[in-house]
Amino acid sequence: MTNKNDNARRVLVCQGTGCSSLKSAKIREAFELGIAEQGITDVKVDFTGCHGFCAQGPVVVIEPEGVLYTRVTLDYVPEIIQSHLKQGEHIAALYYQDPVSGTAVPCYRDIELYKKQKHIIMRNCGQINPEKIDDYESSGGYQALRKVLSDMSPQQVIDEVQRSGLRGRGGGGFPTAGKWDLCRNASGSSKYVICNADEGDPGAFMDRTIIEADPHSIIEGLIITAYAVGASQGYIYVRSEYLLAVKRLRLAIEAANEKGYLGENILGSGFNFKISIIDGMGSYICGEETALIAAVEGRRGVPRSRPPYPVQSGLWGKPTVINNVKTLANVPVIISQGSAAYGQTGSVNNSGTVVLALSGKITNSGLIEVPMGTTLREIIFGIGGGVPNGRRFKAVQVGGPSEACLPASLLKTPVGFDSLAQVGANLGSGGMVVMDEDTCMVDIARYFLSFTQSESCGKCTPCRLGTRQMLDILERICNGEGKMQDIDLLLELAKTVKSGSLCGLGQSAPNTVLTTLRYFRDEYEEHILQHRCRAAVCRGLVKAPCIHTCPAEIDVPRYIRFIQRGQPEQALAVIREKIPFPAVCGLVCFHPCESRCRRAQLDEAVSIRELKRYAVEYGGDLWKSHVVFRSPTGKRVAIIGSGPAGLTAAYYLARLGHSVTVYESQPLAGGMLRMAIPDYRLPKNILDEDIDEIVNAGVTIRTNSEIYNVESLFEHGYNAVFVAIGAQNDLKMGISGEEDHRFIDRLAFLKDVNLGKKVSPDDRVGVIGGGHAAIDVARTARRLGASNVFIIYRRSREDMPAGREEIDKAVAEGIHILEMTMPVQVINEDNGIALECIRMEKGDIDSSGRYRSVPVEGSEFTIELDSVIASIGQRLHIPDKFGLSTADDGFIAVDNFTLSTDKPGIFAGGDAVLGPSSVIEAIAHGRQAAKSIDIYLGGAGVIDEVLADTEDDTISGDPSDLPRQVSAVMPATDRIKNFSQVELGYDKEIAEEEARRCLRCDLEEY
Amino acid sequence: MDILSTFSRDKSKLVAILQEYQRELGYLPEEIILKVADYLGMSPSTVYSIATFYPRFKFVPSGKKVICACRGTACHVRGGGRVLREIEKKLGIKAGETTPDMEYTLETVSCMGACVLAPAVMVDDEIHGQMTPQKVAEVFSDE
Repeated sequence: MTNKNDNARRVLVCQGTGCSSLKSAKIREAFELGIAEQGITDVKVDFTGCHGFCAQGPVVVIEPEGVLYTRVTLDYVPEIIQSHLKQGEHIAALYYQDPVSGTAVPCYRDIELYKKQKHIIMRNCGQINPEKIDDYESSGGYQALRKVLSDMSPQQVIDEVQRSGLRGRGGGGFPTAGKWDLCRNASGSSKYVICNADEGDPGAFMDRTIIEADPHSIIEGLIITAYAVGASQGYIYVRSEYLLAVKRLRLAIEAANEKGYLGENILGSGFNFKISIIDGMGSYICGEETALIAAVEGRRGVPRSRPPYPVQSGLWGKPTVINNVKTLANVPVIISQGSAAYGQTGSVNNSGTVVLALSGKITNSGLIEVPMGTTLREIIFGIGGGVPNGRRFKAVQVGGPSEACLPASLLKTPVGFDSLAQVGANLGSGGMVVMDEDTCMVDIARYFLSFTQSESCGKCTPCRLGTRQMLDILERICNGEGKMQDIDLLLELAKTVKSGSLCGLGQSAPNTVLTTLRYFRDEYEEHILQHRCRAAVCRGLVKAPCIHTCPAEIDVPRYIRFIQRGQPEQALAVIREKIPFPAVCGLVCFHPCESRCRRAQLDEAVSIRELKRYAVEYGGDLWKSHVVFRSPTGKRVAIIGSGPAGLTAAYYLARLGHSVTVYESQPLAGGMLRMAIPDYRLPKNILDEDIDEIVNAGVTIRTNSEIYNVESLFEHGYNAVFVAIGAQNDLKMGISGEEDHRFIDRLAFLKDVNLGKKVSPDDRVGVIGGGHAAIDVARTARRLGASNVFIIYRRSREDMPAGREEIDKAVAEGIHILEMTMPVQVINEDNGIALECIRMEKGDIDSSGRYRSVPVEGSEFTIELDSVIASIGQRLHIPDKFGLSTADDGFIAVDNFTLSTDKPGIFAGGDAVLGPSSVIEAIAHGRQAAKSIDIYLGGAGVIDEVLADTEDDTISGDPSDLPRQVSAVMPATDRIKNFSQVELGYDKEIAEEEARRCLRCDLEEY
Repeated sequence: MDILSTFSRDKSKLVAILQEYQRELGYLPEEIILKVADYLGMSPSTVYSIATFYPRFKFVPSGKKVICACRGTACHVRGGGRVLREIEKKLGIKAGETTPDMEYTLETVSCMGACVLAPAVMVDDEIHGQMTPQKVAEVFSDE
């Protein structure tokens, strides 16, 4: 920092846009008043522009110690005055909280976010009062201008800037000195310089912040530019929406006039220069230089073709240099420090720093400045603190609405003009909007195009009509009315608009469409083919996020409203409209519905699964009254496997009038529900309740009946077959020593326990993996008496696929979690197993948005265990005589929409197709299989039904403010003694309270 | 009101003159357009074509309070669209319209540069940050 008032005691209140909106001016007044009242005379109160810590505003800095207080409210002012200023005792409660580590940091210079930056352009931001020219001068301001006017010729100034390698920060990256040189050498006596502060890109707020925090740096830069090119009049074209920035610029120009930095005979040099401010009236296209010139001339701000370039024929036809705010802010530094010193920052051909506006789904929003060449990963995860709320990174949009959306696999890209161009991106304005899994990439492309389309000035046809056509197509896709040909049409239109448009707006408008198509094409295809929006955003497709994310599309808000009205029997009927396993799902569904619940944006998601359980427990039999059975069709269907996929298909097919037989190789029906899920999560009598209703619908289940040959079923008179055999074989680790008998097969272990065999595991058990299955195994071993159970997982605990609640319960039961640990070999010993592991550390972000984990060399260690159970996944075991083709992943190949295999009449679904997946995904496959098989057998394939009565409109009032209601659980010390159910469920009062938290997204009338 | 006398009869001053009138009156009534056209020796249609090019010029009076919802990228990805729809519902008007009692005008802006506070809504000159549909009621009860 270049501040000269090093030892002065000062209270600096931020009055940038963010803090101002939180009434920081009142806080400053309270400090002034309070300090005067207390008779403190050696402390000055002042305000500054933005520090970039906007997310924790209002921010107050106390100098000289540099203590940063965040979220300061009026109530804290007397305490800060009393404790800090009078007694020298800091108020730790107001320290900056590092959002990543969670630690409190007293001094702003020690904040990670700050330490990793390098401030050149933002050198004075947050350090000086932007409305006092003296502050700027005492930080070295206007020294560069003095040097230029007394010691340097215009050509020397241009040469110095040339040597610095400065490139235009407006986005184009054209060498600044080159522009100046062309203008200087252009014929004509009057020339102009213009500062382009028409910052119109959504997601860009750096020019605004810099002007608000340090307006003189831009004015000084503009004066030096004018001197170099020989201009006597300058303009600053600034958005009129930027009220504070305009005000501070006016004050700064006035002050510079008074001090003789502007006007006639500046500093006695004979050089004359004045600056006028032009208020931009809100037209985005005016950021384009030829359009900006038209606007300054008082005309419609439409661009014209170049050449001639503005440096040859610009404002009023005279040679004109147009530079961006950040470019100009660099100029005084280059002159003062010299081009050599300046050039040391940055990367090859990209000298200096870049100012980026981080926003969107990022922990540390705000303005940052880093050397050119810093990678996107370092910026987003190192400085920005990554994506908040445990969500995964999906994309970053760099540079503005007409620029690229880059996926996780490109986070290694360094920020620079040339490096970004290589991946189809452009530094643009420096806006950086981070998107997570809740962002739909098709919707984002539509959003950006709607912006550029509405800002298209209409002058040239490809831009005016082409963007309209592209937008129409994208809107169709977002509404679920797209066709696959639309993608090709989009690509073709994008090419035409890019090559046929006159200015940068049209030439770059298709970039977001092109990059989202290049990197996120699967999302487009899902919208078109499956009418699914995985982020649950597109309104044409999504009635409510919970319904859309439920694989079986249960009408969640409707049943929650029935619960709220005290009608659990109607609620159960709603659930029964989509699934025949309500009791099972009420206990063990991994509830994807809750992952997109909009209530989570306020506090926590509605506890949907727990409400489902309540509806089942109190719902009775009313649902049966509306169930319709079709008359017999005379067709016979065989289903292989009695897991959730097989039994769901069986239930609906039987209801459609087909004769259905389910073949199960095990002694009892239920598949993985029975074999793999322990009693404490899913008591077997509850599973039996659901299965009983399926049998009541007319399904025949033959247990202990393994099928080896599908074709033979047709010979026995079946007309169609559904293969739902699950994925029965455990994946091996592929490490040496794994074949030892103390390396236990996971499914065999769980099956023995669940079928009631006596199993007594060893004392020290290691469980490898991080999914639901691993947690189930660990908790089962603990209940069987193992006193030391270790879950060994190669990534972090946050990255475990298992549900947070299940992990927490395991830990409460005394299970140890060894995260970031990977087994490398098994050393067999006489009295046990020594499992050699290696510590892992976070590497790059992978394409799923999670950190890769990479081994730390030399960090090997061993754990002494009695047995090891690997739970890292399953694979398909399919009898040879089935003769079904498998896909690349080793599971049965099917048509994704009909679930038909390559053999007529044979369909497949569930884990045998999906790989290890969830109960609700298996049920959804069962539903699809029932539809497809019915159609194959000549039916209409309709299984949708209405079982609940019509809702009355008795729900009134706003959703409640209460936090998520937690179901009672059995104490951990009791539950490890047996397999009794852990969660005790809601009672009526709590269930209705929880139901009142639902925001009723499905009723939004738009 | 003597705005014209502070400007020379220079066509390039058109936008600046219109800005002054809008500052004074809140919008540009037809008679002002005609008056300015006459003063600068331009046809009224040319003046209109330039004035309507710039979104910040208004041709009908605004309500007492101007609500401006940000439609920027950061606001969009953080649910600004639903905030806007909630305001529309609350006021019973669409973006760009004014309530019949002339109390509120609802506008949108492509970005107000308050991305850190996303989603953001400006009421007159005051920015309300981190908005949710539920907080819309609070903004109006502040009034």
